[in-house]
Amino acid sequence: MSTPTPADEVRAALGELLPRLRRFARVITRNVPDADDLVQVAVEKALAHAAQWRPGSRLDSWMFGIMKNAWIDEIRARRRRERVHAPEEAGALVGDRSAESRDIALSVQSAMARLPEEQRMAIALVLVEGLSYKDAAETLSIPIGTLTSRLARGREALQRLLGDNGSSR
Amino acid sequence: MRFSDEMLMAYADGELDLVARAEIEAAMAQDPKIAETIERHRALAARVQAGFSGVLEEPVPERLASLVAGPGTAPVVELASMRAVRDARAMLGGLRLPQWAALAATLAIGMFVGILLTRGPAAPYEETATGLVARGELEAALTTQLASAAGDTDVRIGISFRDREGDYCRTFQMHREAPLAGLACRSEDDWKLQVLATAPAREGELRPAAAMPMAVLHAIDAAIDGEPLDAAAESAARNAGWRKTPNVAE
Repeated sequence: MSTPTPADEVRAALGELLPRLRRFARVITRNVPDADDLVQVAVEKALAHAAQWRPGSRLDSWMFGIMKNAWIDEIRARRRRERVHAPEEAGALVGDRSAESRDIALSVQSAMARLPEEQRMAIALVLVEGLSYKDAAETLSIPIGTLTSRLARGREALQRLLGDNGSSR
Repeated sequence: MRFSDEMLMAYADGELDLVARAEIEAAMAQDPKIAETIERHRALAARVQAGFSGVLEEPVPERLASLVAGPGTAPVVELASMRAVRDARAMLGGLRLPQWAALAATLAIGMFVGILLTRGPAAPYEETATGLVARGELEAALTTQLASAAGDTDVRIGISFRDREGDYCRTFQMHREAPLAGLACRSEDDWKLQVLATAPAREGELRPAAAMPMAVLHAIDAAIDGEPLDAAAESAARNAGWRKTPNVAE
C-alpha cells in the first residue's frame, strides 16, 4: 500500500469532525441548506488544499477558518446579487421574523440568528465549539482583544434577547 | 465592581491565569454580585451550547459523508452489490489517473452505483463488462447535443475535449433526485462514464449552477490533452460521429 497523502489524512480526520462542522455551519448560516452547502464547500476546499494543513495542529480550527472565509465570500456575493435583484430576494431574507417577534423569550437559535455576523462567529467558536480565546482569535484572524469584545457584546445581546437580565437569582 | 464584565466573562470561560483567578475568587467573597455575574455568564454559555447540541445527533447527509469516506469505507457501498463496486474499480484501474483522482472517482462511482440500483431500468446508464456506459437521454445528449444548446432537455453539456488517447470526452450535468454531474469519454460506440458525482448547490446558493464537483474537475485535469474544443471543433467532432482522429492537422 502506498503511504497516505495529506489529503488522505485530512479526509480520514474530517469524517469524525463532520457533525461539529455541521453545527458550526448551522450557527453561522442560520439555516440547514446553507449550512450543509457550506460544509460541502469547505470540505472540498480542505481536501484540495490538504497540504496546507500542518499535521499536529488543530484540524477543527483550520476547518472553521475555511468555513468562515467561505461564508464571508458567500455573503458578499449575495449582497452583490441583492443589489441587482433586490425586490424578490428581500422578502426571502426577512423570512419568519414577524412570527418570532411575538414571542417574548426567543429560542437560543433565533436569538443567535439576530446577532451580527462577527459576534455570532465568536460565540459559535468559543461557547458552542469550545475553542480557547486564543484559538478562536487565530481562526478568525483577529487579535484576542477584538475577540473578547465581540464575545462580550454578543453575550450581552443574547441575554437581552433571551429575556434574562440575571436578576432572577 | 472592581472587575470588568469582560474579565468576569473570561473567568467564567476558564481563560484567566492563576493570579487573576485568585484575585477574582478573593473578591467574590466580599461581593456577591461578582459571583452572580460569573454564574450568569456560565448559564448563558451552557444554554447556547445546549441550543445547538442537537445538530451533533443528526445523521450526516450522504452527500457530505461521501466526500470524506475513504475507499472501502464509503457508506454508499452498502447500497451496492460487491460486483458493481469491483467493476467500477476495475474500470478506474484502466484509466491511469493519479491516485487522488482515482480515489475521488471511486467515491463518485460508489455514489453512482447507489443511484443505479434505485433507478433500475429507467437509469440513463448501464453497467457493462467494461464499466458504466451512458444510455437513454444521457447517451442521446452526449452524442448529439452541443454545449450551446440551452435546456429543454434534462441534460446540459459542459465542455468537450480530447483525452491523451485521442478519444473525445464531454462533461455533463443532469437532474435526477439530486443534481448530478460527470465526465464521459467515447469508447467504440459507447460513452463510458469516467466519473459521476452529485453536483454543487442549486442556483442562488453557495455556488453557481454551472460549477462542477471537485471529482469531475480532477478527472478532467487528469484526462485532458491540451485545451477544450471550441464551438466549431465540437460541432465538427459531433458531425464526424465522435470518431477518434489520431492526427488532426490544426
